[in-house]
Amino acid sequence: MDIAELKGELERLHSASFGWALSCCRRDHAEAEEVLQTVYLKILEGKALYRGESSLKTWLFAVIRKTAIGEYRKRLLRNLVFIGSSEKCDDPATSADAPPVIFERSEIQKQFRVALAKLPPRQREALHLVFYEDLSLREAADVMGISIGSARQHYERGKKHLREWLNETETDYGIGLGRKETQSAV
Amino acid sequence: MESGWEEKKLKALFSELKATDEQTAPRFAGVWNRAQIAPRRIRAFNPAFVAATALLVFGLVFLAVWSRYSQRTPQEPMVVIVPTAPVPTNATAPSPSNEINVKPVTPRKILAVSRANKLAARRHAMLVAANRKLTKDANTIANWQSPTTALLTSPSDEIFSSLPQFNQSTTQLKSFLPTRSN
Repeated sequence: MDIAELKGELERLHSASFGWALSCCRRDHAEAEEVLQTVYLKILEGKALYRGESSLKTWLFAVIRKTAIGEYRKRLLRNLVFIGSSEKCDDPATSADAPPVIFERSEIQKQFRVALAKLPPRQREALHLVFYEDLSLREAADVMGISIGSARQHYERGKKHLREWLNETETDYGIGLGRKETQSAV
Repeated sequence: MESGWEEKKLKALFSELKATDEQTAPRFAGVWNRAQIAPRRIRAFNPAFVAATALLVFGLVFLAVWSRYSQRTPQEPMVVIVPTAPVPTNATAPSPSNEINVKPVTPRKILAVSRANKLAARRHAMLVAANRKLTKDANTIANWQSPTTALLTSPSDEIFSSLPQFNQSTTQLKSFLPTRSN
């Protein structure tokens, strides 16, 4: 695959890649953009080479995940070195609101983001890849670099946590979250 | 049934999240162009490269300094002590020729010499100090005077120092006789 062709494919997958980078960077927009830029740089320099062993999307997502982990470690090290500096802390709840809010978000959506941020990383990744990116569990396992059994376990546990969150939200806000509509539809 | 509803709800929530993210996502061209420019910047300020270069330069400088001093130290003895005469043990004051000649040594050289040379220098310095002390003690003993010397002198010292001789005349001898008051 030559660079022009690869560029076209990357452009097609750009928004999905950014969504995945956001998930890997705990919803930090600036960090996600930096990670995506680093990924493109790696591709341009030939450090990340697509050999066609899996689908391009799976390969790209794996590269994004690894890069995000690397960047996170670097940032952690920088924070340790320059401890006491006025760098912002990575609070998942606040970092979700870090970029300028352009769109009016519903309270449920906000709470959902917080609930997602509270999930263990593997569970969050599994849920994101399946629900957000429409990948199969096998593809999600490939991206995460784990076996399909482990991926399924993370997926089920994550779903269980979110289910509990949904039940709590229902109780707290006294809303059905569309249960009636769904039941009537069934 | 319940599980299916929850999955649909989760799917809906993720879809909403995706729609929001798509609208806030940066343009592909912008990110791609920045990535194309980035390599030059990264190569210019690669901290690992800078650290490695600094370490190499430091190592070379250290080696150069070390080798220079390690070659110089055996050729240059640090201290040269030449005693020109034995240390005086009699009570006479030492003459200027009896003083020990010590070649002055700069502190810089002392720092540079090897450990063996340092030990030798220390021994020599101790010897010089001991010799100096000995000389000083000898001088002090030679110049010593008893504090009671003044008490031993009297006005009749002159008489005792000039006793009558056998070949002197009687008139002269009379002067030694005690005068009688009559």
